[in-house]
Order: sequence, then structure tokens, then C-alpha cells
Amino acid sequence: MLIKLKKFGTSLSSRPSGKEAFSAFQPTLKEIGDNENIVIDFEGVLVLGPSWADEFLTPIFTKYEERVSLQNTDNPSVKVTLELLKKIREEGKKI
Amino acid sequence: MKKLISIGEAAKRLGVSIDTLRRWDKKGILKSVRASGAGYRYYLEHDLYLFINDLFVRAEEWVEKETGVEPVSFLYCPTRDIFDARWVKMENELAKIPSLPVHFSLITAVIGEIGNNSFDHNLGNWRDIPGIFFGYDIEKKYIVLADRGQGILKTLQHVKPELEKDAEAVKTAFTEVISGRAPEARGNGLKYVKEVVTNYPLTLLFETGDAQLTLAQGDQKLNISEKIPYIAGCLAVLQF
Repeated sequence: MLIKLKKFGTSLSSRPSGKEAFSAFQPTLKEIGDNENIVIDFEGVLVLGPSWADEFLTPIFTKYEERVSLQNTDNPSVKVTLELLKKIREEGKKI
Repeated sequence: MKKLISIGEAAKRLGVSIDTLRRWDKKGILKSVRASGAGYRYYLEHDLYLFINDLFVRAEEWVEKETGVEPVSFLYCPTRDIFDARWVKMENELAKIPSLPVHFSLITAVIGEIGNNSFDHNLGNWRDIPGIFFGYDIEKKYIVLADRGQGILKTLQHVKPELEKDAEAVKTAFTEVISGRAPEARGNGLKYVKEVVTNYPLTLLFETGDAQLTLAQGDQKLNISEKIPYIAGCLAVLQF
């Protein structure tokens, strides 16, 4: 499945809007097959903050783990957000 | 000779509409001068400079006041929706600056985290005035946010009751993944702010309670000092 993040907006910041995006996307996420891979595409995203990302991406990373791959992550705010979330997930695993 | 600025240029510099400037002129908030027989409005550059330059002073006064009053509407976001709309407007303006030393997405993301934090942690608990003070000065390259909420210490004491001092609370907020809204998984916003500010040419001033944090590119540790007078909410200034 290909998830194009820009379909949720190009400036993604707050937790409530991340949470809302995740809730609204549930019916689509349920269609993912047992062995299906997920590609998250950041093309067209202008700003991504960790609060929005934590509400939308963290549950997907946690549930589907290695089956998730990312593309078009060149935007600086996307890069720093993904690095921070990764760091936090790794610290969480250690505890 | 004093430099005159057209109303269109003044509107652009202040990030408001021409209609807003006309209203301000009538109300005496920002007076224009009529330089031609046709009655066109112009502004003295010096007046605009003072008006913009006042931004930080206005925010500080607002947050330090014993009793709250609503800021002027163009600097006031009573709800998150209004903040979101103005935040996107700021993003668009930053994106147009050709010589911005930091990618606009990083500045915008940092401001989004700080502003949304105020709403996340104070909704239903504002001390008097709901919402935040939000203003920016593209020419002077700084952005100001302030809230008359509970402040970081009170917020974090819900999950870390052993915190006693504002300085400790600020350190926790900027370095630990901890949520003032536990058991919800939260608490990465200010870590992100620290990550960006210490890695790019930006400086941050963050005040809450009697603590004042300054952060800049290359900083390995947090510089936290005493803030006088005490402020119950939060004040943040990001320079780019």
C-alpha cells in the first residue's frame, strides 16, 4: 500500500490533526494484507512536526515494523522529525 | 528627508491587510500620513520600525501582567484553529525569503510545536485569557509566542511530582521524553525544538516561571538562568 502523506495536508504539525488523520485513515489501513508492504511517501509535504508524526506515523511504525518503508524524505523538517521519532522508539525498546 | 512607505508596502511588511491598516489608522493604533493631494495614505518608515520593534516588548508585558487582557487581534490566537491559519501564513511568508539561513520548514515546525504545546497543555486551564500571543517580524527575523497558561512546572508536576523548580521543569521538558498528559504518549515537541535550534543557525529564548532558557547552534547543554519578574505562563522568542 502506498500512503501519500500530502493527501492529509502539506503543513502537518499538531497532535489533534495527526490523531484525526489517523482515525480517518483507519478503514484504509484495515485493507492492508497480512504480508503486504507499506510505503509512506512524503512527496509534497512542506512541513512535518513530531507531534503530528507521533500521532499518525508512530502507530503505523509500531504495528507494521519492517514492512514499512519511506520515500521522498528530503524535506529538512521531515528528516529531523523521522530521526527524532526513531531515536525515541529505540530508547523505548531499551527500557 | 523622512522615508515614506506606501500602504501596500506597509501591509506587506506587517503581514496584515490594507483594510486592517485603514482601521488601525482610524483607531489611532498606527497613524498614517497623507502626503499627496489625492489623500493617499503613507507611513513613515520610522513609525513602522517602532511598531514592529515593539513586538517582543508587547509579548513580555502581556505575559507578565497581573491581570490578563486580550492582545490586539492581529497578535492574538484565541483558539488552535486561528493559530493554525496564521502559522501557515507565516510559513508562506518565510518560504518566500530567498536568503533564509535555515530552511523554512524547520522554523515553521519549531513554531508549530511551541504554539501547539500551549494549547495541548492549557486547554480548559488558562489562567484568564485563553489562547496565545503570536507575532513575527520577517524584517527583524524573529517570532514571538506567549501564553497565560499554567507554565511548564505545573504541567509536568502531574507526571513528575518531585519537580520543585521551574529550572528543573524546563530541563526535563527539553531533554526527557515525558508527557504532561500521561498516559497519552507525548512529550517530544520541545526535544525537537532543541534538536533544530542546536543544529542550525537559530537562537531561542524560552521563559516560564522564574526560569529562562537560552539555546543556540552548537550548544551542548542548556543555559538556564533566573528570570525576573516571574511569569506564570510561557514566553518563547525564536530568532532566525
